[in-house]
Amino acid sequence: MAWIAQRRRRSRFESVVLPHLDAAYALARWLTRNDADAADVVQEAMLRAFRYFDTYREGDAKSWILRIVRRTCYSWLERNRPADVVPLDDEKVLDEGIADTPIAAGNTEAILQNRSDLRRLDVLIEALPAPLREVIVLRELQELGYREIAEITGVPIGTVMSRLHRARSALRRAWEGKDIGDAM
Amino acid sequence: MQCDEVRPRLDAYIDGELAETERAEVHDHLEDCPECGPETVALQRLREGIRRSAPTYRAPEALRSQIRLALRREDAATTRTARPAPGWLAYAASLLLAVAVGSGGTLLITGERQEDVVANELIDSHLRSLLGSHLTDVASSDQHTVKPWFAGRSDVSPPAVDLAAEGFPLVGGRLDLIVGKPVPALVYRRREHVINVFVLPASRGDLGATVTRRGYTLRHWNEGDLGFWAVTDAAPSELADFERVFREATKG
Repeated sequence: MAWIAQRRRRSRFESVVLPHLDAAYALARWLTRNDADAADVVQEAMLRAFRYFDTYREGDAKSWILRIVRRTCYSWLERNRPADVVPLDDEKVLDEGIADTPIAAGNTEAILQNRSDLRRLDVLIEALPAPLREVIVLRELQELGYREIAEITGVPIGTVMSRLHRARSALRRAWEGKDIGDAM
Repeated sequence: MQCDEVRPRLDAYIDGELAETERAEVHDHLEDCPECGPETVALQRLREGIRRSAPTYRAPEALRSQIRLALRREDAATTRTARPAPGWLAYAASLLLAVAVGSGGTLLITGERQEDVVANELIDSHLRSLLGSHLTDVASSDQHTVKPWFAGRSDVSPPAVDLAAEGFPLVGGRLDLIVGKPVPALVYRRREHVINVFVLPASRGDLGATVTRRGYTLRHWNEGDLGFWAVTDAAPSELADFERVFREATKG
């Protein structure tokens, strides 16, 4: 009976993918910066993942679902907040040395309007451009390795490394108070 | 290793991503170097700061159950479309007739009672309203906003009364397409639950006062030439209360 197979597939999805719901939600929450939007995006991503579950082969389910969640986040942001998904400029510069990333990029000035907040790392992370924010979240908060981060974000490991470096440098400059002026 | 070789590797070093030989070389350098050592400490301090101050986000319980529900619905939807045509067509036809003809006909085409068919379709619609972001088309607790909104959009004019004083605030109205027919729905809240009241032409048959289908509670009553179908995930007793206050308020 078709419905038995269907039910088996669904319970397999629930036992393989749903354990990573918290990680999925956390990534979406950091990328959308909003509870309700994160919930919408995660639900959409889970349904999408369920539809493509047949393409999932044994392996790292967490990376698999986070990749889908991330992609869903970006297309949601493109639809709803295009200013949030400006691509990183001068990505190349990173390979040659240290690039200066202003902590406030895109439309994130509003988040930084309160100067006293600038010492708070969670606020600083929220203000990072999305491609830098996600590597910090995946590395420091989800404690994933470079290879997994590369897989989730769809960029080479070298780019993961340079983005991490860039993100940390930006966070340190602002956090240690070296250039609060520049950050505004 | 010299400083200019060590610096680009510091991130990977503290992340434990260096190969063993490289790691050892960087480690040796850090022991002696008065600049790279503190730099590493600063990076580690940043990491600790991030872990300490960043909130840990967890998926709300409601999201978890919503997703399970959505998965089940997804399966149900594919089963239905995968089913061979005759049954489904008869089903759609009977429903369309039920909506269009209302009290008129005896429509036992599929052997299912017409009310059963309608009930199932309305529960689906209720679920759709909860899952998506499309709970209301017109969001207002003011009957003078909600009622006129339906004019020209649907054949029936639903009595939109706010029942906030009785514990059922009016949230707004929505137009749902049910087999291609626009059907008005009034949206009420009961604490964290939603009550959708679909308004169709009155039907002669009776579903019985309260039924529970697929975990949802449904009540049907006729008032004048209108038939009301209330669907909710709240308790059956609450829906009975709702019907009582709704009927009292709309009696005129």
